[in-house]
Amino acid sequence: MALDPLTGITGVLPAATSGAQAAAGSRFTQALQRLLEATEQSSAEANGRVSAMLDGRGDVHDAMIALQRAEMTLQLTVQVRNKLLQAYQEVMRMPV
Amino acid sequence: MASPLRSAVDAAASALAAERARIEVAVSNLANIESTRSAEGGPYRRRDVVLQTAPVDSFDHALGRASAIGVRVAAIVEDTTAPRRRYEPSHPDADADGYVALPNVDPAEEMVDMLSAARAYQANLTAINLIRDMVQRALDLGRA
Repeated sequence: MALDPLTGITGVLPAATSGAQAAAGSRFTQALQRLLEATEQSSAEANGRVSAMLDGRGDVHDAMIALQRAEMTLQLTVQVRNKLLQAYQEVMRMPV
Repeated sequence: MASPLRSAVDAAASALAAERARIEVAVSNLANIESTRSAEGGPYRRRDVVLQTAPVDSFDHALGRASAIGVRVAAIVEDTTAPRRRYEPSHPDADADGYVALPNVDPAEEMVDMLSAARAYQANLTAINLIRDMVQRALDLGRA
């Protein structure tokens, strides 16, 4: 007996969901990308403020606040990454 | 850092800069307490900082409902009260009557200014620390 008729089903699901999935995936990737960019940007700003302070152009408190901001942004990024990993592991442990 | 807290920190940071300017001016007043010559001629004149509100650049401010308002140094003005006069005929800057015009600086007043500026600086640092702790606690939510 031939099993051919089942192959016809496979074409239906990806066609219906791939668009939405790709959009959701890219949105999340974009959010993660923006978070990473924010981290990068705040650390660059902290760097600039600290070197400005060392050159005598900036205030100590400005440098410290920029450093603190960079740390907070990094912590936020790490938290999001932790949550993401946690969710992934949760899914991976799920018995099918 | 979240945007509302960011503008609060910006406001506190502007206050730190303003208080630093106040301390700088008080220190220069104290340093020049005996300066009988200045670039403008005559004795040094006591200077004062004029502070002014300065909106912190934020989205809320653009919408006209900013909750955090910073401060900035509007001007550093000279105190126009008359200089102190001391009888000292041997001084090179003494006038015909033997009196020397000295800066109109009162050390006690400068000390009080400096203390109040230092206290205000500390208060704003405390505010920044408080905001930092708040953000830290919020991030701890994700650690559960």
